[in-house]
Amino acid sequence: MPRNPVVTGMGVISAIGQGKAAFAKALLAGETAFGVMQRRGRQRESAYLGAEIREIGFSQEITRQTLRAASLSAQAALFVLLEAWVEARLYDVDPRRIGLIVGGSNIQQRELTQVHEAYRDSPAFLRPTYALSFMDSDLCGFCTAQFGIRGLAYTVGGASASGQLAIVQAAQAVLTNQVDVCIAVGALMDLSHWECRGLRALGAMGSDRYANEPALACRPFDRDHDGFIFGESCGAVVVESLESSQCRGLEPYAALRGWGIAMDGNRNPDPSLEGETQAIQNALDASGWTSARIDYVNPHGTGSIVGDETELKALQACGLAGVFLNATKSLIGHGLSAAGTVEVIATLLQMRAGRLHPTRNLENPIDPALNWVKEKSIEHQIDNALTLSMGFGGINTALCWQRHH
Amino acid sequence: MTQMELLDLIAQHTREIVPGLDAHQFVASDRLADLGANSIDRAEIAMLVQESVGLSVPRVELFGPRNIGELAGLFLQKLNAA
Repeated sequence: MPRNPVVTGMGVISAIGQGKAAFAKALLAGETAFGVMQRRGRQRESAYLGAEIREIGFSQEITRQTLRAASLSAQAALFVLLEAWVEARLYDVDPRRIGLIVGGSNIQQRELTQVHEAYRDSPAFLRPTYALSFMDSDLCGFCTAQFGIRGLAYTVGGASASGQLAIVQAAQAVLTNQVDVCIAVGALMDLSHWECRGLRALGAMGSDRYANEPALACRPFDRDHDGFIFGESCGAVVVESLESSQCRGLEPYAALRGWGIAMDGNRNPDPSLEGETQAIQNALDASGWTSARIDYVNPHGTGSIVGDETELKALQACGLAGVFLNATKSLIGHGLSAAGTVEVIATLLQMRAGRLHPTRNLENPIDPALNWVKEKSIEHQIDNALTLSMGFGGINTALCWQRHH
Repeated sequence: MTQMELLDLIAQHTREIVPGLDAHQFVASDRLADLGANSIDRAEIAMLVQESVGLSVPRVELFGPRNIGELAGLFLQKLNAA
């Protein structure tokens, strides 16, 4: 039975960078790309702020015909998967022993809304391929066809915890020997104006108080936070056993030492101190660690008033009050289904760089006593990191990462 | 609309859907399957042509034509009957 799942390849895309090198550079420089969202179908009598990916720079390996048929979410998945695939040298692995888990559900709402609006008065001409593309699992189809994956491929959903859940599911597929290598993709959540409106109406998405200063709107853990700011992103993480990685002479980024999942037993988007604490404690226990081992936390930190407060209380309750932390969402926005995967990538890139990225707009932290990385990046060698993702439906996830020596 | 114009439309939409046909010279005897279009590609191409000319043909009737010349002929016949 395999042990020690490690990460051997990663791919990422966000509004501040396409590919790991550009992404890491932008993170450490504290870059942001917030503005009134421009993508077709994002606004309707509205001016929602967010961070959108610029035109995706594809290499020739992905054909024009594939891209024509692929939704934005599928295009982003193909982009990040290619980067991760090449880095982990998966061309050298038996495709029957490679799996894929796509994290996210109901991810292509903007594309679907576009189709519905385009064919409202002429349904007879609806494209037959709508029957394929309306399902999230279409991403599995695109990715397995492009890369010849033959092991397994399916989607998992856990709202904003989907990205971390996908990594957990990939690790389980490797640990149970279903495949030798499993790639977790945190899928790009493509919101339409309907979802933006719902999230705003619910009070989850930030208000328009910073409409004239979009760069100031996304402020996790700051006293002036009032909800999350959306940011398009997508990430891929290649998980395999250390033994499997050694066969191809790879130098892993980190080992996934353990994870914790805990439910609040509450459908509402009310964060629960008990649930979050339980998930962190479960992850530490599974890793055989005490909180003293952790030297960096990548929190969920969306900018939600109650969410931010509850998360910091959970960190304190778990003895993590003295640990360095920053907020990746302050730079890239909230990727929802993608967030967990992309933030694990941000964590492992910081681990490799020996630096922690800044947190934007953290002018007055709601808890100033914590060890924040504020406006400037700092030098810090992460050895053992904790990454957190929470989602609607009361799901809490925590992952423990150990730097590979 | 002539059969030739319909053939051009079929060629244009086939190039959109199927890779590697940019330089291909389409002729009436070309079969979509031989050009690399799978069944879903073929349904997509047929629908794109119908949308371009504002015609709606039941899917079952599209199984008859054996090449793109015959497909263009079927569309022409339906257009003239409409």
